[in-house]
Amino acid sequence: MSTDLQLPVFSNTTQEDLKGRWGMVIDQDVCTGCQACVAACAMENNVPFVGEDDAGYGRGMHWIRIERFWQGTFPAVKMTPFQPMMCQQCHKAPCEPVCPVFASVHSASEDINVQVYNRCVGTRYCGNNCPYQVRSFNWRDYTDARVRPELTTLQNQLNPDVTVRRRGVMEKCTFCIQRIRHAEDAASSEGREIADGDVVPACAQACPADAIVFGRIDDPNSMVSQKSLASRGYHQLEELGILPRVTYLQGESNVGNG
Amino acid sequence: MSATARALPNIRPQAAEQEDPREHLMLDPKPRGEMNGMVLESMRSTGWRYWLVTLVLGFLVLTCFFYAWYYLIANGLGVAGVNRPAYWAVFLVNTVFWIGISHAGTFISAILRVMKIEGRRPFTRAAELMTTFGLVQAVSSVFMHLGRVWLAYWLIPYPNERGLWPDFHSPLMWDFLAINTYLLCSTMYLFLPLIPDLAMVRDHKTGWQKVAYRILSLGFRGTEGEWKNLHTAMNIFAFAIIPVMFSVHTIVSWDFAMAMRPGWSSSVFGPYFVIGALHSGMAAVAIVLFLVRSTMKNMKYFIRPEHFNLLGKLMLMVSMAWAYFYFNDYLVPWYGGDKWEQILRLFIEKGPIWWLWYVLLICNIVVPWLILWNRKWRSTPWLLALTGVVINIGMWIERYVIIPETLTINRMPFTWRIYIPRVEIFLTIGTVSLFLLLYMMASRLIPLIPVWEVQEGQEAHMLRKVGKAEIPAVSEIG
Amino acid sequence: MPESITLLALFEDIDPAANGIQKLRSMGVTDDQMNVISGIPMPGRVLGRPNAITNVSRIALVGAGLGMLSGVALIYGTIYLYPLYVGGQPLYPVPMGWIVTFEMTMLGLMVFAFLGLFVDSGFPSYTPKDYVPEISDGKIAVLFKCDSNQERPVVDALTKLGAESVKPAEARQL
Repeated sequence: MSTDLQLPVFSNTTQEDLKGRWGMVIDQDVCTGCQACVAACAMENNVPFVGEDDAGYGRGMHWIRIERFWQGTFPAVKMTPFQPMMCQQCHKAPCEPVCPVFASVHSASEDINVQVYNRCVGTRYCGNNCPYQVRSFNWRDYTDARVRPELTTLQNQLNPDVTVRRRGVMEKCTFCIQRIRHAEDAASSEGREIADGDVVPACAQACPADAIVFGRIDDPNSMVSQKSLASRGYHQLEELGILPRVTYLQGESNVGNG
Repeated sequence: MSATARALPNIRPQAAEQEDPREHLMLDPKPRGEMNGMVLESMRSTGWRYWLVTLVLGFLVLTCFFYAWYYLIANGLGVAGVNRPAYWAVFLVNTVFWIGISHAGTFISAILRVMKIEGRRPFTRAAELMTTFGLVQAVSSVFMHLGRVWLAYWLIPYPNERGLWPDFHSPLMWDFLAINTYLLCSTMYLFLPLIPDLAMVRDHKTGWQKVAYRILSLGFRGTEGEWKNLHTAMNIFAFAIIPVMFSVHTIVSWDFAMAMRPGWSSSVFGPYFVIGALHSGMAAVAIVLFLVRSTMKNMKYFIRPEHFNLLGKLMLMVSMAWAYFYFNDYLVPWYGGDKWEQILRLFIEKGPIWWLWYVLLICNIVVPWLILWNRKWRSTPWLLALTGVVINIGMWIERYVIIPETLTINRMPFTWRIYIPRVEIFLTIGTVSLFLLLYMMASRLIPLIPVWEVQEGQEAHMLRKVGKAEIPAVSEIG
Repeated sequence: MPESITLLALFEDIDPAANGIQKLRSMGVTDDQMNVISGIPMPGRVLGRPNAITNVSRIALVGAGLGMLSGVALIYGTIYLYPLYVGGQPLYPVPMGWIVTFEMTMLGLMVFAFLGLFVDSGFPSYTPKDYVPEISDGKIAVLFKCDSNQERPVVDALTKLGAESVKPAEARQL
C-alpha cells in the first residue's frame, strides 16, 4: 500500500513514445491543391477575411494553407507536391511554454494544443516560436461590423459553435475541436465510445481527393492509424523533436503534379 | 675617441611634467559653497534656446508618442508593420535599445564606484538619469507591442478572482520581473545619492521651491548616523545592482534565445546582449555628457576632457568585447552547416537590405576602432559624442538585424515576407523625444552634478611628492 | 543642578573641527553627547569620533531573505495553485526557479536597504531640527550638549581653535 504524496515533479514527465489521441494523415500524392480545405476551414472556424492589402503583406489568417514550391532551374522546372500546412498539434509544442499568460496550453485529455482566446494578451511569442509558422494574429478588427460595415451581411455565415476572435488575439487550427466535442457528446449520450469516422474536421470533409484523414491514432484499427504507418509517411521538421501529430505521405515518384 | 664624440641620447621631456595637475577636476578644488552656487546657477539659467528645444520636443512627444500610440491602440497592430513571420519588429528593437542605453547608467554609477575609479564622480547622476528615463521608454515600447495592452495587468502575479497566475515558464515573465526589479532599484539608486544634493538645494531656495525640495530631501541634515546609513545603503546598492544589470539584459536576450528560430537559438546571446547594451549605453553617455557640458552653465568646470578620455577608453574596450562576441555569434553558424542559418546569413549579407549589415559593422567596429585610439581625439567632447551617435545608430541597426530581419527567414520558406515599419517610425521618434524631454526637465529640477561626491573626491585627492615629481594620489578616506 | 544646553559650533575645515572635538572631550563632553553634521561624509577616524553603527545592512539582509521566499512562492507556489502543462516541460521547472528567485532576492535586498535607510534615519522627518544652512556649503558643524555653566569656557576654547561661530542650537524648520 503506498500513499500518493503528491510531491512536486521537477523533471520532465512527457512520455515520448505515446501516440497521442487525435491525429491526422495528409496524402500529398493525391492532393490537387484545390484549396477546398482552406475555404471549408475558414467557413467552419470563422476565420476572418483580411482584405487584399493585408493579405499581400503576409497577414492572411488562414488556419490551413497550401504551400507550393518548385524545384530545379528553368527550363527543367518541376512542381513539388502540394503541402497543406496547419497546426501540427505538437506533443511538446514550442508555442506553449513561451506564453506569459497561459493562453497556449496543452490539453491533457485531447493531447492537442489549445489556444485560449480570452486569455491572450497579444505578445505573439507563440507565433515566433512555432517552427511551422501556422499561428495567425488578429492584426485589426477584421470581424467587427462596426469597423467594417461591409461585413454586416457576412455575419450571417458565422458558425455559432466557434468563438469570433477580436483584435489582438492569436489563433490557429484546433483540429475542429468543436466537432470533436459534438461527437464525444453524442457518443457518450448514446453510451458508447467514439467510433472511427465520427469526427470529420472541415478540411477533411471538404477535400475532394480524400487527401486528409482524421481520427484516433491511439486506436490501431482506425483508418488514420493504419495510414500513418505507411512507408511513405514522414513528419515535417522531425529533427526538432517536438512530436507533431500530423503525418505526411509522399512517395518518391509522384503522379499528377508534373 | 673621446667621450664628447658620442652623441647625447635624445631625451624627450616627459609628457606628465608639462601637464598642469589642475586640469584634473579632483586636483582643482573649489570651495563647496562656490561649487554649490555653480550647480544652482546651471539649474536656474534657462535661455530662449532651452525653451525652444523644449517646445519642439514637447510637440514631438505629443504627436509622435501620445497621439501615435493612441492611434495604435485604437486601430490595432495592423497599423504597424508587423506580419507573419516578423511578429516582433521595431517595438522590440526599441525595447532592447532603450534597456541597452539604461545599462550604461548602472555601469558608471555602480561598477565604476565598486572599482573605485574616481573619474566617475561628476557624471554618475547624469548617467543614472539615463537609466531611469531609458527604462521608461523601454517599458512603453513593450506596452506598444502588445496586442491587447489593456489586459497587460494579467502579467502581474497577484491573487485574483480568475484563479489564474502568469506562466513563469515564459521568458517574458522573467522579463517582467527583471525589468521591474531593475527599474525600481535603479530609481532608488538614483535617489539615494540625490538626497544630500536635494538638501543643498533646499538650503538655498525660498518660497514654494523650498517647500518642494524640503519634502523631497526627507529632512536630511548630514549627521554622522545619516551619512553612515546612506553610505551603507549606497554600497549595498552598488554591489547588488551589478548582477541585476547583467541579469536583466541576459533575460531580455533569452526572449530570443529560447525561441527555436534560425539565428536566435544561440547560447552566446546572454553575454553578447549585455556587452551590446554597454556598447550603446556608453556611447549614449558620451552624447549626453557633451550636450550637458556644452549647453548648461558652469558644467565645463565639472565635466572635463579627462572624463571624456575615461569614457572613450571604456568605449574602446567595450567595442572590442562586442566585436569578439559578434564574431563568435557569426563564426559558429557560418562554420556549422545548419542550412537555415546559412540561408539567413545569405539573406542578411546579400539580400535586399544587405547594405544595413555593412553599416552595422562600420558603425560598431570600424568607427570606434579608428577614432578611440588617439588620446587627444578621445578627450575631444564633440568628437566623442559624434562617435557615440555613430555607435548608437550601429547598435540600433544591429537589433533591427537581430529581430525583424532574422525573423523573416524561418524553416517554412512559404511564409517569408519582408518587414516594412509603419507607425513604428513615429513611435521611435516619440520615445527618443520623450527621453530627451524628460532629461531636459530633470536637468533643471535636480542638480545634475553630485557636488557632495565631487567634494568628497577632492578631499581625498592630493599631490604627493615622490622624489622630484609631484604625483596625484588618492587616499581611501571613505 | 546645572541644566544642559545644546550648542552648535561651526568649523570651516577638517583639522580645526577634529581639534575642536578633541578639546570638547577633554572638557568633559562625552562622545554620545556630540554629533557632527557635515556636507560630505566624514568617517569616524578622520574626526576622532567613534564609528557610527548602522542597521541598514541587517534590514537589507532580512529583505533578501523575504525576497528569496517570495521568489520561490511566486514560481512554485503559483504552479501548485494552478498546475498547467506546457510544451512538454516539467511542471515545476528548476532553471526558471533560479531566475525568478534570484530576481526577487535582489529586489528584496535593495528595497529593504532603501527602506532600512528610511527607518534607521527616521526619514522622512519634517519637524524642526538643529541645523544651519551653511553646512551644505561645506562647513562642519559640531552639535553638542554641555552644562550651562561651562558655556563660556567652551565657547572661548573652540573659538581659539578656529571655530567660525559657537551658538546655542536653534531647532528650526529645515
